[in-house]
Amino acid sequence: MTTNIRICGAAGQGVQSFGDLLARTFASMGLHVFATQSYLSRIRGGINSYDVRIGSEELFSSARKTDLLVALNRESMEQEKANLALNGVMILNTAESGGNYLALQMDKLAQAAGGTARMANSAGAGAVVSVLGYDLDALHKCLTEEFSKKGRDIVEQNLDAASRGYRAVAGHEGLVRAPKPAGAPSTLYDGSTAIAIGAATAGVKIVFSYPMTPSSGVLTALAGLSHKYGMVVEQAEDEIAAPNLLCGAAFAGVPAMTTTSGGGFALMAEGLSLAGMLELPIVIFLSMRPGPATGMPTRTAQGDLAFAAHAGHGEFPKIILAPGDLRQAFDLTRHAFELAHKFQTPVILVADQFLTDLQKNIPALPDAPDYINLHLAKKSAPGKAYERYLVTDNGVSPRAVPGGDSYVVSASDMHAEGGHLSEDFNVQIALQDKRMRKITGILNEFIKPEIYPEPAGEILLCWGSTYGPCRAAVNLLRARGRDVCMVHFPMVWPLDGAALAPLFEGRRVIAVEGNGTGQFALLLRQAGALREFSLLPRYDGLPFTAEFIETEVLS
Amino acid sequence: MSGANENSAIETAWCPGCGNFHILEALEHALDTLGTDRRRLVLVSGIGQAAKLPHYAKANVFNGLHGRALPAATGIKMANKKLLVLITSGDGDMYGEGGNHLVHAMRRNIGVKAFVHNNQVYGLTKGQASPTSEPGFVTKVQVDGVLSAPFNPLALAVTLGVSFVARSSAVIPDHLQTMMQEAIRAKGFALLDILQPCVTFNKVNTYKWYRDRVKELPKNHDPRDRDQALAAAMTWGDEIPVGVIYRGARPAFEDAHPILSGAPLVNAFTQTPP
Repeated sequence: MTTNIRICGAAGQGVQSFGDLLARTFASMGLHVFATQSYLSRIRGGINSYDVRIGSEELFSSARKTDLLVALNRESMEQEKANLALNGVMILNTAESGGNYLALQMDKLAQAAGGTARMANSAGAGAVVSVLGYDLDALHKCLTEEFSKKGRDIVEQNLDAASRGYRAVAGHEGLVRAPKPAGAPSTLYDGSTAIAIGAATAGVKIVFSYPMTPSSGVLTALAGLSHKYGMVVEQAEDEIAAPNLLCGAAFAGVPAMTTTSGGGFALMAEGLSLAGMLELPIVIFLSMRPGPATGMPTRTAQGDLAFAAHAGHGEFPKIILAPGDLRQAFDLTRHAFELAHKFQTPVILVADQFLTDLQKNIPALPDAPDYINLHLAKKSAPGKAYERYLVTDNGVSPRAVPGGDSYVVSASDMHAEGGHLSEDFNVQIALQDKRMRKITGILNEFIKPEIYPEPAGEILLCWGSTYGPCRAAVNLLRARGRDVCMVHFPMVWPLDGAALAPLFEGRRVIAVEGNGTGQFALLLRQAGALREFSLLPRYDGLPFTAEFIETEVLS
Repeated sequence: MSGANENSAIETAWCPGCGNFHILEALEHALDTLGTDRRRLVLVSGIGQAAKLPHYAKANVFNGLHGRALPAATGIKMANKKLLVLITSGDGDMYGEGGNHLVHAMRRNIGVKAFVHNNQVYGLTKGQASPTSEPGFVTKVQVDGVLSAPFNPLALAVTLGVSFVARSSAVIPDHLQTMMQEAIRAKGFALLDILQPCVTFNKVNTYKWYRDRVKELPKNHDPRDRDQALAAAMTWGDEIPVGVIYRGARPAFEDAHPILSGAPLVNAFTQTPP
């Protein structure tokens, strides 16, 4: 049993805080919550929407249809009413009753409660819980928690506004069928927060980013955690500075990361190559949106994978991780730092607007600091001068940091083992081979793709944030008798074609990707893992839903 | 000339008579005079002939990308504020390719010392104009002479109120050494613009040209007075003032920052480096 509630209105009308309040309220009730946002690249006007989907079982996808539409203005109702489910109900923020909606003057109700129009969300939320057949307790508790810092009066006014909203739709209690609380975790996270907590607990101490939607959520979340974890979160002058500063921090022994989206990442390409050459552990978080150029800043896409895999001039090892859900976002963020330090090479953590803004209630993430191993060198042998780029069998050299007994020398020019400049052809070959040998070690730690629920004749091949919608789509398709499974990759680079090929042999592969060309499937083909595939693309800027995938597969 | 770094003895890639030799020598003397613990010294540079200097000194070395010495140095200083982080790089690297970083490093007033070898020409790429080349300067690329106004890094530094702003020259090595010592002793960001002849590509701003013009600031110059400092920074012609032009009152970034003002970030990790 699931119910989809959609809040829509003009940017600046409070769509987000309304949706956030509902998501928190439902999570605190023990309902499973899956909340997504759709917003425009502007501060005021236009139509934004916020879906809060609730269920009695864990949810993996948003829904196309709306069971309860709450429109903060008439324009947004007119736009969204086409997506109303058959038995759907609309609440409109208006004084004019008599339409095919429940009229609710949210700001007037808030003012009647002695509050300001800004408390309209509380009145609206009161009406929503009533129409869904719930009582006011959880909403009141959430409002008390949210406003307790602002004083008793503000709390009381919000509680009263919620009660007034609840009573304003008297007679319509339970008009929309809604799931019963199911003991779901009360801890609600969005993707950005999960990534930020992962980075903070892993030991990141320097965050240096130029703001860019949709990566700024992670930057903001890290800034919010900076005092708790002792992190320096500094705004970069530009994206060129970011990886260079990270290299400096890593050189001096401190884990550091930056956050960006496609255009900013493009500016980082030279610095990424520097980290490869200096063999420094840096982590770049890349949140994708549709390109090329400025593209669609507030929308979602998976269009930068091929670029990320090949970004940076020259040849050097690089790792790309792409979390599929919120727990994986936390785990893989930590893992990104572990791998970067173990192999002394850059790691790109890839997500997108869909995953960073996605909210779900999951078991509490462990938020105590649990620093990763920096894999620093033990004391060097007496009498032997330290060499930062010592040639080793696995390609990983002992890494010291300045301030100890050894001089650490790193140069972006071709260098010999000691780090000083060299133009000797044999040294060039030896050092490049050394760096590239790290790829063998990285592939030994390749994260196996998840097959859900079990191998089948047909494969929905996906990576990163498409995990949830694909998994839900597999359930829908199997319910129709289709012999299909999902194969999801949380690690997408580097790829060992020979090791992965058996996954796909003799099976029909449908690549479900948020781009127009099947970038990951093409990388698999290039690696020799995959020969033929059909493509199920989406590149309109909107996230995949289970229903979208189901429809496309069946068509 | 051989380098003093214990890792290797390196032949320099500089032309005979290059001003860089005097700058390297002044730096070694300044560090020795101050008794600097070389293991806590990081020399940072970008790319260019000047940017090779760290390889010839006894120090930790971060020789990064062209134009990006400042962000790298900022990252090193943020990570471990106990390190002496000193940039030795050229005018193309610091004032051209890395211009935006210079603006923002000075806004932060991070405790990094930037020694800029300013020879008003690009050496490594063989003789093109630099951001500080004078109008009319003819090169194989600027065949009609430079039209753009020369960049004035010192005036910019004064207006941003950075901690230490000075000018010296490779043609007056004793003065240069004193300025280096003053810059290292100062808290916050230090910009030391070092006028330097390029014997190969700059036939205008020669040793003689600089010797005829550089003149120490008058004894009564008050480096705490911004108007006086700006006037000195803007003076260029028959007389070019050298010395401590400005001492700003702003705190260093690492002292003002709520997190950085505590223990060095690197201390959060218990592993002891070798």
